Amino acid sequence: MKRGFLPLVLMTTLIVALGAYAEVHSSVFLSKSNLNSLLLQSMPLIIVSFGQAVALLVGGFDVSVAALMTMCVVVASFTLTPTTTGLAIVPGVLAVVGVGIGAGVCNAFLIRVLQLPSIVATLGTLSVLEGLSLLLRSYPQGPINTNVTGKLVTSVGFVPVAFAGVVILAALADGWLYRSRSGLALRGVGLDARSSRRLGMPTSLVVVLAFVVCSLMASFAGFYLAAEVQVGSPIIGNQALESIAAAVLGGASLAGGKGSFFGTLLAAFFLTEIDNVLPLFQEPAEYADMTIGVLILLALVLYQAPELVERLRGARRRVGSGRVAQGEAPG
Amino acid sequence: MTTSIPGPELPQVLSVRGVSKAFGAVQALSDVSVDCRAGEVHALVGENGSGKSTLLGIASGSVAPDDGHVEIGGRALVRHTPAAARRLGVGIAYQDYSHVLGLSVAENLFLAVPPEVRPAYRRMEQWAAETLATFKLDIAASATAASLSLADRQLLEVGKALLTRPKVLLLDEPTTALGPDAVEQLHTLVLEQVQAGVGVLYVSHRLPEVLAVADRVTVLRDGVGQGTFDAAKVSEDALVALMIGRPLTVAFPDRDPLPEQAEVVLELSGLQGDRFGPVDLVVRKGEILGIAGAEGNGQVPFLRALAGIEPATGGASCGGVQFDRRSPAGPLRAGVVLLSGDRRGEALFPVLSVRANATIQVLRRLGRGGIVPRRAERSAIASLVQRLRVRMASTEQPIQSLSGGNQQKVSLIRPFLRGDVKVILAEEPTQGVDVGARFDIYEALRAKADEGVATVVKSSDPIELAGICDRVVVMSRGRIVQEIPRHELGERRIVEAIVGSRASVANKTAEASAP
Repeated sequence: MKRGFLPLVLMTTLIVALGAYAEVHSSVFLSKSNLNSLLLQSMPLIIVSFGQAVALLVGGFDVSVAALMTMCVVVASFTLTPTTTGLAIVPGVLAVVGVGIGAGVCNAFLIRVLQLPSIVATLGTLSVLEGLSLLLRSYPQGPINTNVTGKLVTSVGFVPVAFAGVVILAALADGWLYRSRSGLALRGVGLDARSSRRLGMPTSLVVVLAFVVCSLMASFAGFYLAAEVQVGSPIIGNQALESIAAAVLGGASLAGGKGSFFGTLLAAFFLTEIDNVLPLFQEPAEYADMTIGVLILLALVLYQAPELVERLRGARRRVGSGRVAQGEAPG
Repeated sequence: MTTSIPGPELPQVLSVRGVSKAFGAVQALSDVSVDCRAGEVHALVGENGSGKSTLLGIASGSVAPDDGHVEIGGRALVRHTPAAARRLGVGIAYQDYSHVLGLSVAENLFLAVPPEVRPAYRRMEQWAAETLATFKLDIAASATAASLSLADRQLLEVGKALLTRPKVLLLDEPTTALGPDAVEQLHTLVLEQVQAGVGVLYVSHRLPEVLAVADRVTVLRDGVGQGTFDAAKVSEDALVALMIGRPLTVAFPDRDPLPEQAEVVLELSGLQGDRFGPVDLVVRKGEILGIAGAEGNGQVPFLRALAGIEPATGGASCGGVQFDRRSPAGPLRAGVVLLSGDRRGEALFPVLSVRANATIQVLRRLGRGGIVPRRAERSAIASLVQRLRVRMASTEQPIQSLSGGNQQKVSLIRPFLRGDVKVILAEEPTQGVDVGARFDIYEALRAKADEGVATVVKSSDPIELAGICDRVVVMSRGRIVQEIPRHELGERRIVEAIVGSRASVANKTAEASAP
């Protein structure tokens, strides 16, 4: 676990540094209203990144999450209209969550039963979901019930209740992942599926659950996206790569078996902070994409530094012995 | 768990009845039965590829049989999964381990232990240290599994199998990485379990080792059971005779005796890698040297290190000049060519044509100004395709549509085309090759040898080695333990060397044997 703290430290440092820089250049950054909107703005990405972290933990990807979030918003524009009141809200919410579970089961089936690589399977799901969203709403229309979404964004002071919720969730999830038998089993399956199967673990079930949880989280994220846009827009979700970026910056390994929900939360918040800060300086959004890309590369190098150092040492040793061998060659 | 008293009516803890299993066209097992009683060690012996591992796979639930059934502790194994077999009471130590290398030793033990006896998560480290101590294993609980030596990994694997409190313990070649002291330690641990009423099915190719602890022994040959014997009453010679003697289905090309002092082409001094060595070896011009041994004794890493694929220390020279082994390019420049046993993964480009696969290493020579005329390629390979009798519709056919034997012939065209080859390292040259094509491959290897190439053939088939080699060395635990000269070569002689019945390997395990 000791090395697992590196992503947490790095992300906290970057959040504070960027915040300080923003505050110095524009005094509105630390205003209560901006902080409140920043925290709310970060909710969809944080929640979907939790799901992505689970998929990464079992050694997979889910690139369909953004399309699924959009689909959930579109569905909500039908099932949670401003005229939906009282008990009718319950089936409306269940419909959205059901779409998430359905997409997750579909992904899990493609990956586990048809044995498709997760990136290919979820790319397929992504296209299908995008098409479905456009079929249902060819342009942004259909207002979403603000009574429902308004509850989601309830804040105490400048802190949204839901944000406090995800912080607690992340802490609990990390505790589970690194302090329980089932968390250990999940990491074991991600690190080495064959050995895990030999040890009698239900590896297929673990992978299926991981992808269902990932999609379920995407549908929860969809509610917060709905709260933000408030209308059934078919073209809003773009968090697929950002969610992978957040999980990786938060300490997840692309090879599976490693990750941190708290790290993911911080990284998702940081990525949103970049988006939030740039307009304060009238900087074009392209810089955000480039910054994120460079940061991911730097973080990956930094997180793997111990292995890299080891590998370089090994390479030097081999080169050294090779030179000696060549020196011995006659002629 | 019942502790049974040794006696004639011991309950059967494992009963495998009439199982058969085919992988594609290969019949790995046909109608094999074997059982294991409580409190006995039942040895399972046979050559490489005789079906031992498949049988263990079936008994442990990881392989579903085509026919026959398995009973564990008197209850039928219905679903063929490792988890189901574990629940019925099977503990297995896999030859290639079941460790999650990224986790610690304690975490690996924790994942292996069944829920009834699992400690609280926070007590894991302490519990793991205690467990290791009861097994008398000197391994740190907090170390990552990846940092363990191969011997420790092997001992830990057996320890993990014991954690499940099995009724029957399956051991698949548990001593390949162990020295004599560690073998004795392992046997002591196993015999303690036997005393407590556990049945042990012990797969090994090391006859002296396994006979020292076994009560009964079953021999497999070509996937067929050759009988079960009382270990105290059967001789090693008799067992070897049962293990060998497959019908000879293929002819071998003629060999002329090597000239007395042929020039040395390949010379190795103290070559050592992670899983083999140190190896000192000399291969002469025109010689075909065979490498024999049970699987997993360092033969493949040794060849790969020579070809520059795996790192190794020590000296290797070709034609008197040390060659650079940091990457595969160095050995190739020096004229050392590896024919990998992994044809699909390493040796061939499955979707490319026969022509492209054959000429890919000599395109520079065939081309003019960077452009390679098809005509030049076709004429270069035309005669070789005929000579090696490659059966195909056209040289433009993707190589994956050819049979295994014909694919191997195409990869053999490469050293013929290069012309500058001094050493050929052939790994399992006839694996998955039909009998008809084998002779062509042997003949091609012999033809290259007659041109002056020094050849090293790694094969798990002793008949093949006896048929084509001028000399055979036997590897065990990564070292060359015996050298068999040409006039002694024969299947029986090679198998005896592999199972160690004639080897002068220290055998301390006899002292640990049960009364």
